[in-house]
Amino acid sequence: MRTNHRRFEFTATFTDLDEGLDILHGSIQRLREAIGRPQDDRSLIFFETALGEIGSNVLTHGRPAGTERPVDYTLRFDGVTVEASLSDSGVPVHEHLTREMPAHDSEAGRGLAMARSLLDELGYEREGEVNKWRLVKRL
Amino acid sequence: MALEVETRQAENGVTVVAPTGRLDVAGAPALKDAISEVVKNSPPRVVIDMEGVSFVDSTGLGSVIAVLKQIRGSEGGELRLAAPNQQVRVVLELTTLDRVFPYYATVEEALTGF
Repeated sequence: MRTNHRRFEFTATFTDLDEGLDILHGSIQRLREAIGRPQDDRSLIFFETALGEIGSNVLTHGRPAGTERPVDYTLRFDGVTVEASLSDSGVPVHEHLTREMPAHDSEAGRGLAMARSLLDELGYEREGEVNKWRLVKRL
Repeated sequence: MALEVETRQAENGVTVVAPTGRLDVAGAPALKDAISEVVKNSPPRVVIDMEGVSFVDSTGLGSVIAVLKQIRGSEGGELRLAAPNQQVRVVLELTTLDRVFPYYATVEEALTGF
């Protein structure tokens, strides 16, 4: 990891759900401290919420039984825009990307709709057997 | 970071359930388990004290919806949320679930008139 007042970069690989979520949230806290944003910074709250949604999807669905490949994670801030990349070995998810926010009494199915609303850009690509996610927000 | 859940009885008989940690895909089952115990008592009147919840995701939110349905399905059952932090309020507003879960600034406010 390297940081200064304007730029920040963090990379990690992980396989376990609890460990992965701890790393994702921990990386946002490091970014927050490195660039001097308060705990209640709304843009970072939006970004962390979206990252939690995509991260939990990747960690729960992106590692089918027998998968050896870990989840790769990168977080970068260039002084203006924060960008996270995640890759996993799950099945393709194209059909879920445009899912709308479900009804109030629904207990599931909000994650991708929330992430889309909270970010400036939510990118998804299928490269071979790998899902690649890109989350972008101007801070 | 596992979600820890404490339960206590307020003077007016309302049960206060206080989770601490992240209410996310990893923590949601602990909240559901705690509420399932409370619902065995009738009528279940419950305040979820969110002060110790640092972060909620859509799965954690789904667990609150599940327990709301469980509680309102019991005669006289009611659920209130208290003291959500800014991230939790963002999620409630984004999903428009703040219309379903009117939240209170403090546990004391939530207990008043309950």
